[in-house]
Formats: sequence, structure tokens, C-alpha cells
Amino acid sequence: MPARRIVQVAGKDVRLLTGGDGPPLLYLHAVGADVDWLEIHDRLARHFTVHLPAHPGFAESTGIEQVDGIADVVLHYVDLLGVLGLRAVPVVGASFGGWIAAEIAALYPERVERLVLVDALGLWIDAAPIGELFGSTPPELAEMLFHDQDHPLAQMLRAMTSIADVPEDFAHAQLKALEAAAKVGWNPYMHDPKLEVRLRRVTAPTLVVWGREDRLVPLVYGERYRDRIPGAGLEVLPRCGHLPAIERPAELAEVALDFLSQT
Amino acid sequence: MFHLMPWPHLPESYAGPAWVKCPNAFYDGRRGHALYNRYLDELVRAEALGFDGVCVNEHHANAYGNMPSPNLIASILARQTERMRIAVVGNALPLYNPPLRVAEEYAMIDCISGGRLIAGMVVGGGPEYYSNGINPAEARERFSEALDLIVRCWTEPGPFVHTGKHYKLRYVNPWPTPVQKPHPPIWIPGAGSYETMDFVARRRWAYMGIPYFHKRIFKRNFDYFREACAKEGYAASPEQMGWLVPVYVAETDARARAEFEPHLWYFARKLLPGINVSPPGYTSPRSALKMLGAFGDFMLNVGSWDEIVDGAYAIVGSPATVRTQMAEMIHWLGVGNVLTLLQLGTLPADLTRRNMELFATEVLPHLRNEIGPRAAAS
Repeated sequence: MPARRIVQVAGKDVRLLTGGDGPPLLYLHAVGADVDWLEIHDRLARHFTVHLPAHPGFAESTGIEQVDGIADVVLHYVDLLGVLGLRAVPVVGASFGGWIAAEIAALYPERVERLVLVDALGLWIDAAPIGELFGSTPPELAEMLFHDQDHPLAQMLRAMTSIADVPEDFAHAQLKALEAAAKVGWNPYMHDPKLEVRLRRVTAPTLVVWGREDRLVPLVYGERYRDRIPGAGLEVLPRCGHLPAIERPAELAEVALDFLSQT
Repeated sequence: MFHLMPWPHLPESYAGPAWVKCPNAFYDGRRGHALYNRYLDELVRAEALGFDGVCVNEHHANAYGNMPSPNLIASILARQTERMRIAVVGNALPLYNPPLRVAEEYAMIDCISGGRLIAGMVVGGGPEYYSNGINPAEARERFSEALDLIVRCWTEPGPFVHTGKHYKLRYVNPWPTPVQKPHPPIWIPGAGSYETMDFVARRRWAYMGIPYFHKRIFKRNFDYFREACAKEGYAASPEQMGWLVPVYVAETDARARAEFEPHLWYFARKLLPGINVSPPGYTSPRSALKMLGAFGDFMLNVGSWDEIVDGAYAIVGSPATVRTQMAEMIHWLGVGNVLTLLQLGTLPADLTRRNMELFATEVLPHLRNEIGPRAAAS
């Protein structure tokens, strides 16, 4: 089990879960789904000391009122690395966390040792708009996020056909998470128009991992990341949607660890 | 009298939302020409019938209410009427950048009308944040800053500097300024979020309850508002609270229902779907859960006429029935303003005219006499 603690970063509480042995690794989570310690983190923790902070406004992390855009989140994580005494770390970022990871790697290349982007938000392609994260019903979300519609989480979302079906604590966490995500990514919608050209600044060896059946951020975005980050590779996971950490944790851990262990 | 200026021509077969994504191919400018002029006639007529005022409001990208700029309508009314109040409830402040535009246009309406404007200020409906791109997670901050700035525009000599989080203006010096001093009355409509009620209580302005909820939701919200005022150290006056409700009067109860019911269902089933969108951060999670919890008590989810009557979603009947029910509700809710929707959904011109006449002659004087002259505003 990971250790749970609250770390102070520039006046904000950060809920930090830390577990495992080995060199440090920073895991940046998606819009809520993997904010808690899951199988993916256990698997990564066999080889790394995994740090799993909750973004400002997520879980018990506070300080969303200090966040007015992606730049504030980037600085927040650079500050957190300072608090943890980490100079440069490998970073795994999924979805929303992948966007943050890509920004850190572009703006502070010296702080990112190796980079794994998993179905990352952050870019925009007119011909393939990112799906509607905020205005969708839970069943619509299940359809966008999951390849396997029988996955327990997909089933749970699909069953929420009216507000009466949504447990209050789940609804509360979800509302908080979406509010925090909206502070950063309402408009421009879940991307930073400057990021794509800045990706040339990334110096970390980079692996892009994508669920082939991602209907929120389609595979063309993975290809775009691969094309714009110097030397990046792309690993496509078949029979997998937007959340490999949830839907295919073993495969994701395998490709990520294989890449992270290269020197 | 409140008017939404709804679009009554959605196809029978259309079952989608009336908001955000409702295809605007359903709009027809030639029909719009006839409709705007008919609706304006209805509002202008309210003065001759003895209403204290009329209310219009702002909505975007929808079939429910076709006044993306209620100020255009209000300025026509300012010119075409002479006595009654014109309440714009309101302008969605976060959608204006800079919000000086609201201070300017409201001052124009107040000047043209000779000081008859009631200045409504709203955060804007949830769907509006999808239609306009403004970040809903900033909505409350923007609203609060814009409102302070507008009041300052009306109470402090310009030019002055405004340096806020969202608006930075070196020379604030709007021309014109309003007739009414220190400024036009401010009304804030709300659907029951704690933040809005606390805010209005703190400023000692007036809170207008948004309709289409079961009467117990109104009661709960006005009770909360009175408590919020008490926490601020004063007793809420009835004029600080407004009850907005659809009303239909005909010669008998049976006739009223027969004439009104199909138009009410068009409204509830065609124009309300999609109105309940609540974008992230638009209210606190605590308020959002409360409002979602009230959703079962929202007209969109009401299935039968009996529920409409029992929940007082609309007051429908003979003059005697409407008089009695409205008097009971006014006393029970403790409100000093009643905003009546006398046109709803597809209710056609002839029935709207008769409804207005019967309400004005058979109900309005009674409410004035029984409840006091201030209780029947609008």
C-alpha cells in the first residue's frame, strides 16, 4: 500500500500517494479516473518509487482558486518537484495528466528524464475534435472512454441514466474534478494552442501510448504527438479506449516499464 | 407580466434539446418578424391593462426564449410605453466583455423610459456557457466583479480606474448615466444556488425565484433567502422576493385547462429539454447536488396535469380559482413581487390576449386589494 500524505506547495495542499522501490517516477492522472492508487501504480511501483499527486482541486488537493490556466499547473508541478527534492524525473501522464506532462517537458525540458504520454489531451486537430467531456451524460462518457463496454467502470457509467442513479459521493467527486479541469481546459477546449509548436523543445526520450479505440482523444492525436516530439515512438494498444490505466493496466505497465528501463 | 418570446414552431417530430444544439434551421426569419411584433404588442398592451410592469430576459442559442439581447426589446418598450416598469431580468454579465456595455445600455433604457428600468443581473443559464465559450468555472467571479463595476459606474463619478482579476480598464467613464438615483433597482434571478441567495442577501437586493419547480422548491429557497438575510442582520422584506409563475385564466376551470394544457406541454416537453445543463464550476458541487436533487421537482419531469396543479407549476382556472390559489401562494411564500407568464409555449395570440384581459380585470385588482398594493408588481 502506498503512503498517503499532504504536502504543502506554494500555499496549496497536495494529496500525495507514494509507493514502491527504486528511482522516483511522477505519475500525472487523468480527470479523476486514476487519482487513487490502482493496479497500474502497483505495477509501476515494482520498479520505481511512484509519486501520485492529485492535481489542484482533485481529491484532497486544494488551491484550484490559484489556477487560471495550464501554465499555473505546470508551475505547480515544477514547485512540487522542488518540494520533493527531485531534480529530474521520469514522468508518466495520462489524458489530462498527459497534457500537463507534455507542457512540463516542453517548458522545463531539464526536469523530465523520460516521458510517457498516454492518450494525452493538450493538442487540437480541427478534423478530429476532442470529444465532449463536460456536457456528456455518464452513458455517453462510457461510450467515448471505453472499448470494453462491459468493464465494471463502463457498466457503472452506463447504468447512470438519471441523476437518481448517481451515488452522491461519486457525483460530488465528479463535479469537483470537472470544475478543476474546466478551470484549465474549458476554452481553448482541453488544449493549449501554443503546445504543438513548443513540443520541439522536448529533450526527454518520449514514448506515446494510445488506446486504439479512444473516442475522446482519437489516435490521430497520438500520431501528432509522435510527429512533433523529437525522436518519439508510438505504441498503440488494441482493444483499448481512452484509459489504458483502467482498461489495460498490465499492457500499459509493460510497454511503459520496457521504455523507462532503457538507458 | 413576464414574456419569454418562445419559438412555437418546433416540428412535431423533433425530440432533441431546445438549447445549445437545437438546429437553427428550424428558425425562420419571416415567422420571426410576425412573432416579435406580436409579442411586442402583448407587452405594450400590459400597460393599458394596468400591469405594474413587464419583464424580459436574455437567452442564447435556443428555442425557449428568443431574446439574445433583451435590451433591444426593452428599449422599444421604453419608447412605446409611458408608465409601467420595464424589468430586464437580466443581462448575463459574464457574457459581456467589458461589462461596461451593460452599464451603458441599462442607462440608455433608463433615460429613454424616464427612470422606469429595473436592472436585472444574472450569471446566465448553464447552456449559455456552452454557446458562448466563457469559462463557467469563472462565472461567479466574473459576475461578482462585473456587478460591482456596473454599480460603481452608476454611483461614482468618472473617469476612474478599474483593476480587477478579469477586467482591467484605465478610463471608466460611461455616458449616459441613469435617471434613477443612486441607481435603478437591482433584481437577481436564481434557480436556488446557495451562492446566489447569499450574495443577494448580502447586498440587500431582490431575489427572483426561477420558475418551473414544484412549489416546495420555491418555499425552500425563499426560506433559505430569509435566513440568509437574517444572518446579515436584517429581516428580508417581501419586495426582495419575486415568484415567477405561468398563469392562465378562462371563464371556467374546465375551459382554462382545455385551452391551456396543450400549450403547456409544448413548453414543458419541447422548450425545457436541455435547459437544465449545469456546466462544471457553474455552481459549487454542494449547490449543484442540491439543484440536481430538486430536478425531480422540475416541470421537465412532470408527467401529468394533476402534478402540475398540485405542485403549482402553473396556476390555471377560473378567475375565482386563480385568485384563491395565487393569494394562498403569495402568503405562503411571503413574496412581494409576482411575475406572471401569461404567454407560454405555443399559446396563440387570441388566447394570450384573453388571458391577459381576464387576469388584469378579474385577478389583478383582487390581489392588489387583498394583499396590498405592492404585492402585485409586474
